[in-house]
Amino acid sequence: MADVLTVKNVAKRFPPNIVALEHASLSVAPGEVHCLLGANGAGKSTLLKIVSGAFKPTSGEILIDGEPFRLRSPQDGTRAGISMIYQELDLVPQLTVEQNLYLGHPPARFGIIDRKTRREGAVEALRRVGASFAPDVRVEKLSIANQQLAAIARSLTMKAKVIIMDEPSAALNERELERVFEVIRELVRQGVAIVYVSHRLNEIREIGDRVTVLRGGRTIGTFDVATTPENALVEAVIGQNRSLIERGARRAIAGGVALEVKSMKGLHGLEISDFRVRWGEIVGLSGLNGSGRTTFLRSLFGAASFEGAILLDGRDFHPRHPGDAIRRGVGLAPESRKTEGLILDAAIYRNAALPSLRHRRLLSHRAMRASAEPVLKGLSTKYGDSERPVRQLSGGNQQKVVLAKWIIGGSRVLLLDEPSRGLDVGAKSDLYALVRRLADEGAAVIVASSELEELYAACDAIWVFHEGRNIQLFDPSAADRDDILKASILGVRTSTWQ
Amino acid sequence: MAVSDNPGGERLAPPDGSGVLAAALDLAVEYNFIVIFFFVAAIAATLSSNFLTFGNISNLFQQAAVVGIVAVGMTYVILTANIDLSVGSMAAFSGMLVAVLMAGGHNPWLAVASTLVVGMAGGALMGGITAFARVPSFIVTLAGLVSIRGVTYLISEGTPIGNLPKEFGSLGSTLIPILPGFDFPLMGIIFIAVCAIAGVVLRYTVFGEYVFATGGNIEAARLSGLPTRLMTMGVFAVSGLMASLGGVMLTSRLRIGQPTAAQGMELDAIAAVVLGGTSLFGGRGGVLGTFFAVMLLQVLRNIFNLLGLGSFYQMTVTGVIIVAAILLNRLIDHRMGRE
Repeated sequence: MADVLTVKNVAKRFPPNIVALEHASLSVAPGEVHCLLGANGAGKSTLLKIVSGAFKPTSGEILIDGEPFRLRSPQDGTRAGISMIYQELDLVPQLTVEQNLYLGHPPARFGIIDRKTRREGAVEALRRVGASFAPDVRVEKLSIANQQLAAIARSLTMKAKVIIMDEPSAALNERELERVFEVIRELVRQGVAIVYVSHRLNEIREIGDRVTVLRGGRTIGTFDVATTPENALVEAVIGQNRSLIERGARRAIAGGVALEVKSMKGLHGLEISDFRVRWGEIVGLSGLNGSGRTTFLRSLFGAASFEGAILLDGRDFHPRHPGDAIRRGVGLAPESRKTEGLILDAAIYRNAALPSLRHRRLLSHRAMRASAEPVLKGLSTKYGDSERPVRQLSGGNQQKVVLAKWIIGGSRVLLLDEPSRGLDVGAKSDLYALVRRLADEGAAVIVASSELEELYAACDAIWVFHEGRNIQLFDPSAADRDDILKASILGVRTSTWQ
Repeated sequence: MAVSDNPGGERLAPPDGSGVLAAALDLAVEYNFIVIFFFVAAIAATLSSNFLTFGNISNLFQQAAVVGIVAVGMTYVILTANIDLSVGSMAAFSGMLVAVLMAGGHNPWLAVASTLVVGMAGGALMGGITAFARVPSFIVTLAGLVSIRGVTYLISEGTPIGNLPKEFGSLGSTLIPILPGFDFPLMGIIFIAVCAIAGVVLRYTVFGEYVFATGGNIEAARLSGLPTRLMTMGVFAVSGLMASLGGVMLTSRLRIGQPTAAQGMELDAIAAVVLGGTSLFGGRGGVLGTFFAVMLLQVLRNIFNLLGLGSFYQMTVTGVIIVAAILLNRLIDHRMGRE
């Protein structure tokens, strides 16, 4: 039987010179669970968007049932029988399950919805996924697992031949995931093909028939899940290319302990123990998406609630609001600088001076500019006039304004969450050079990043986070990159060094 | 995946030396409401020789003062991306409360002071519910609009209260000779003073800076350590205080407490704020725009009166002008790249 979906040598480039996908191939047989595996930035999401019709490939072709097929929009993808279930489940919470199942393709005549047909179709689709809820419940009342089932049922109402699931396990617990797996097995028996995207090897072992590994925008190979040893898969994900990594020389850190997390229990199952940063030290947080890095930083900043024992500069520290943390000299550059870090339409100097205003009642704009501009210049921020809205700056310069906020505000502990996201290579190295300089001047820095290479080059120590825990500490000048990646993916301690 | 999130790249300020003309043009664009105001005033002056008389100008300020003061409070609320629908009812309630207190034999000064405190507390309560229970301010103040009007009828038993002390009436009727032959109403002076204070607070105090920051991006403000919920409470307290002051002045001018007064005033106030260039999405705008918009709407009414056209024309044209002004501001935002 012909493969239901074939991707041949697809490439995707974004101008001016970003290559998201270089040479990706994939072929999915009917009635199989085909897994897609790859590290952050391997090109998984780009490939999915191309297959579902959201992106047009720069080159290469896509075949459906052996016929070349041009997907111009997600609607084309749907019509061709390819259905995509995104991680954040694009259901409308306020509508009923039945309305959601037929959203965008309701059975209708002359604009009037044929409710009887819709109800019958919905009942049938829900039966096939083994759902225990009625079609007239609102989606917002369903658990995440049941929403996941509703999303699968929605694919069935579109007569999908291939259902692509993007990390469905991210929001599910083990029992819920088991139910989703049962549904997947049942659908596969009925001849539907599933593309299952995950970076958790144990899930792939349990549900997958074959697995295609992507790395650096290329397909490394397709493996038979049952017969391929785990090490071979990890090897394929990580690669052998080690020479590219630039290691920072190990520095002697003279400062005492700045922040010590003896124990911390927080949101989303966060459980941290024995975490230390010294003055002048840069500690990196590595881990997969959802490993708890962001929650940890937000907890330290008082923006997420937690319980535990923390010492800051030798004294008890339990921030309940960001204000508490700021008063103790802690600053956070949040994950999304545009929606959380900056007031985009406000002037550059006003953004930069905002946290430092807390000591004052009256303000002088001249004084605000006078305090902001030297710091911005010291960070080599490129701006024309600090009266201009911060929106007009490039991503790298916006990030420097965020840093400037905390420097002006007198912070000595800097928490940086994905500070380099969206920056080009030059801006990235510029940013890390600054972070290094701030550490040399005595700041304690914790930086979370999905890109291990960055942490490798910039940090004095790297903690690997896995499912909310800090599982292993590495010394980047001594540890092997592969060991760090293996620890991130497998969630177990590797090698002997700590 | 390393996709740049800023495809447009940097846009820096234009190089210096492009001329005084360009700078003046920039200013005219930024403060277009002032240009429009003087344009409309010029039209008014050509249409009627009465327009530019001291008497008429005094009248303009006398009539604009109440809604103007209420609109200043509304400006604070809208700057934080909230809305206060209760100001009309709050003004009527305060106007009634001050009359009831004085009819009960209280000292007029004491009556005014306690009324203002009550109005401020009422605003703070609505702001508190909005901020701490995370209920949209539209709903909370809509409930306020209904309930506060109800309380107004309850304390007055539905009937107006007259026979107020003389010194209280002087608040709304005193004319102060500021130039030989030019008597300016005390209410107008209070209006201008309120605008000036409110403008200075916005520009030169940390409270004002926090109002802009909270409205510009509440999450970024919170993560910068700002007390965003107290800010929301604060701006509603300001709005309650202003509505209360407006109501007291209205009662003083009419010399009678009317439970049915100030119906729909919230809409006039919102219209003025938005016409003055303050963004309903928060974080952008100011009191200067509100001041000129209030005066612009008053001048329009004045023109129609001078031309002898009735209120039906006034309502129709006022609506059209508000939409036209908003479209103009959208256009300017678009041109300046503030989408």
